[in-house]
Amino acid sequence: MAKPVRQSQRPSVDVKGKSKETRTPVDDEDDILWVDKYEPTSEAELAVHKRKVEDVRRWLLEAFEGGPSAKLRKYRRILALSGPAGTAKTSTLRVLSRELDFEILEWRNSMSERGPSVFTNDEPGPNGLDFDAETLFDKFQAFLTRAMACNSIFGHHNTTQIRSQTQSSTQRPSKRQLVLLEDLPNLLHQPTQMRFQAALRSLCIPTSNLSEPPGPPIVIILSDSGLRGEQPDDDSWGAGGSARRWDKKEVLDIRNVLGPEFNPIAPTLMTKALQTLLASHFGSLDAHGREGKQPPREVIDIVVGSSNGDIRSAIMALQFACVVDLPASSMGSKGKAARKNAGGTKRTSVRAVLEAVTRREQSLVLFHLLGKILYNKRKFDPPASHLSSKDAAKERELDMQLTDPSPLPVWISHHNRKASRVCAEATESPIDSSMLGLYTHQNYTQFCTDIDQCDGICEGLSWVDCMGGALSANSPYAFRTLTLSTLHSLPTPVPRSGQKVCKPTWFDVRTRELEASDAVGDVLSWLGKNEAVGGDTDQGALSLVSAGKWTHANVATELGGWLGALNRCNIDRSKLQGGHHPQPPRTHRLFSYLPWSLGAVGGDVLGENEDGEVERGGDDDEDRDARLPGKMGGGEEGKGWLEDDDIEDAE
Amino acid sequence: MSLWVDRFRPKTLDELHYHQSLSTRLKALASSGDFPHILFYGPSGAGKKTRISCTLRQLFGSGVEKLKIDQRVFVSPSRRKIEINVVQSNYHIEITPSEAGNFDRVIIQELIKEIAQTQQVDVSAKQRFKVVVINEADTLSRDAQAALRRTMEKYMSNLRIILCANSTSRLIAPIKSRCLLIRVAAPSTEEMQTVLEHVAKKLKFDLPPEASCQIAEDAAGNMRKALLVFETLKMQSPDLSGPLNIAKPDWETYCHKIADLIVQEQSPERVMQVRAKFYELLSHCIPPTIILKTVADRVVERVDEALKADVMHWAAFYELRMRMGNKKIYHLEAWVVKIMCLYKHFTYNIDMSEFD
Repeated sequence: MAKPVRQSQRPSVDVKGKSKETRTPVDDEDDILWVDKYEPTSEAELAVHKRKVEDVRRWLLEAFEGGPSAKLRKYRRILALSGPAGTAKTSTLRVLSRELDFEILEWRNSMSERGPSVFTNDEPGPNGLDFDAETLFDKFQAFLTRAMACNSIFGHHNTTQIRSQTQSSTQRPSKRQLVLLEDLPNLLHQPTQMRFQAALRSLCIPTSNLSEPPGPPIVIILSDSGLRGEQPDDDSWGAGGSARRWDKKEVLDIRNVLGPEFNPIAPTLMTKALQTLLASHFGSLDAHGREGKQPPREVIDIVVGSSNGDIRSAIMALQFACVVDLPASSMGSKGKAARKNAGGTKRTSVRAVLEAVTRREQSLVLFHLLGKILYNKRKFDPPASHLSSKDAAKERELDMQLTDPSPLPVWISHHNRKASRVCAEATESPIDSSMLGLYTHQNYTQFCTDIDQCDGICEGLSWVDCMGGALSANSPYAFRTLTLSTLHSLPTPVPRSGQKVCKPTWFDVRTRELEASDAVGDVLSWLGKNEAVGGDTDQGALSLVSAGKWTHANVATELGGWLGALNRCNIDRSKLQGGHHPQPPRTHRLFSYLPWSLGAVGGDVLGENEDGEVERGGDDDEDRDARLPGKMGGGEEGKGWLEDDDIEDAE
Repeated sequence: MSLWVDRFRPKTLDELHYHQSLSTRLKALASSGDFPHILFYGPSGAGKKTRISCTLRQLFGSGVEKLKIDQRVFVSPSRRKIEINVVQSNYHIEITPSEAGNFDRVIIQELIKEIAQTQQVDVSAKQRFKVVVINEADTLSRDAQAALRRTMEKYMSNLRIILCANSTSRLIAPIKSRCLLIRVAAPSTEEMQTVLEHVAKKLKFDLPPEASCQIAEDAAGNMRKALLVFETLKMQSPDLSGPLNIAKPDWETYCHKIADLIVQEQSPERVMQVRAKFYELLSHCIPPTIILKTVADRVVERVDEALKADVMHWAAFYELRMRMGNKKIYHLEAWVVKIMCLYKHFTYNIDMSEFD
């Protein structure tokens, strides 16, 4: 275990602006964020899978030295590391920079020196007034060209908007360099995106002068955001609404540029990393004569559990846990949840506090919103069995404030409901209506006792979806209609039977549908190709008869039986005399093979600390080619789920 | 080797086996020198596309069979790239704009304008105009249809449009009124048998009449399906003797089982099971409208006479919603729940009346 490097001995560390405060010389070590203080310095300390690190290292070596044949260098120009936030993408690179001894030149968007904020489509802005009025993107471009062209001088001319990271104070001109782009320009703006692509592309073109080595390689770090609910179900592209998410492949627009994808950090790796961190922390404090109390193992477990694979937030939480001296203080001040179990185990209180620290706001909101809506509490509902008498009293008090709606006329009296404890106006939240719709849709059946109740909810979902059309997310009424129709239809009170709130399977289905539709495309083109090759029909060579005669829907619905027969036939024949019929693309089974199974509905259980975005794509250990039926029906293993009581606790 | 459907597809109007009067009319139109815009409509597998290509051949001669497939890239107003496959010859171009989803308007406008503005340069060409074939015209969005309507008038001098659709009900009236509507009806069982026998003769083997009859009846007017089934059966048992075992497509059996699930039990848990099945179908690229139709047909078979009309009414209702909305599963499920409600109340009421 390497000795932890102190902030003061090291050039400034960047963890995306979080370290801004630490720029000032720090006397008190307690003020430094652990994230910065114990940044990993060797591969052993990285909580990333070995193979991922190895992938990046190999790429870097090839970029610097050209691999075994020394020819790869000009092809290794841009590497894109992607993955969710806090999966050690940047740290991996920094560790490798230390190991392979290269320096990192980094681009930062500096807002303070920003020119005119409006970026126009034309060349930089109108000439005149301000000479410094260089747009941010021009600066970016200038940075790129400069970084590419004059690598060694660059370090000395390092000025305001360009900050170079030097590993050592004495700079040798021969030192290898690498350009790191983490703080990308505003890529949602179309013209900017196009210029960005153009700039990258020009860097990819190998220099004509072969003797001259190409400029330093570029590493781009992209933090993913997950799939959004707004993505339309159609085979169409989302018209608006999906602007929050941009496809990384599209943004980069260069083939073969994508590098390894980082996955959320595995609990085991993270636990190990946190333990070493703690060991070194308390070890070093002792040297200063201070006493430190190492938090117990269970705190680490909770931190790891609630971090959702985000090591940065885990470390933050851990630091907090050590600073506030948890179990003692939490009893008095840390909110209802902790108090509820007063006299209960230490574990619950620690858990409550830590969760309050780590979870993201949005996840909390989604989880609570669903709980509120789906449990549909109304005035004078008997208090839930697990509530303490005090809470029950509070509920009664609340009930007194609710005014009953005036009774409806006889002919619509079946719509009479008691006043709801859920205030629809107050449920406005950062969750968009389509996300709420998906979650409601996934879960409502567990909360209904009768099919008539389902009818109301389904009708609401269907209506909201169809009224909004392509822009459902923007409709001002969608959210409230959804909430109110669901509340109106659910039984009161909702019987409690240990319901578990699940994540929508919709995303998963959507991905599979896209895969299958690619497969249909494969088969279509296979049909065409097949014909062009085997044109020895008795009517002479006529190519492409099938062109345009088949549509996707036709292939998907009608060709299944034939493909199945062809498969069986091929198997029989290959036993006898070797393949006779041409082999259709293997992927056709994605749409042609549909076994009936009485499996239950899958779906991960939604945990309180998850933000409802479903990560796309799986582990890359998974063989993508093996898209075979056995896998497709595969239920997903549920993650740890929380008892429904937990929803209540946090309200 | 290619599919029999493609291999024995008739190339000229004379080779067509059924709807002879239609063929004569098309022939007359092609030689009249005043060829109109045409809308071919009729059920799937009736032979619309075959007739279109035969008509084209009649118009332009065999040159129209020299096809090439291009992938064209269009840029939408929001600068998104749309790739679409285009089949074309020197005389015509064939597109399926629905591949582009919501951006079909862009395709229609760009592509048609481009073709319309270039005159036919080939002096030896039989006609002064080019033909644009638009497949799956009934899935065109309103926008695209409106764009098409204008184009049809404006570029009449050097462009003719042939639309191909399953039904005219989804096309806007101005388009219908600008086209000559030609209905290609599904072939009868006897007509299909003739085609099957023709294929068998070409392949030089014997097709027992019972077999051809069975295949034709099973296909229910879908020639493409009949030929595919025929080829599949031939692959499985080369002599085609004895009672044939025509397997339904997996998805169809699946839909029937879903219908059974709906009728058996009406409860929230059952809704959940049905949803899982729908998801499975959707993830196999089965179009949601087809799912709804197949399941509804089966449900109608299984419920009481009094409920049949309602089942279909709601199917139509939610199919419309499905078109307007985004997430198909909501509407499929809403329909299922509605049917379950109806069914449950219906059986409940019967029980009550028996008590009285």
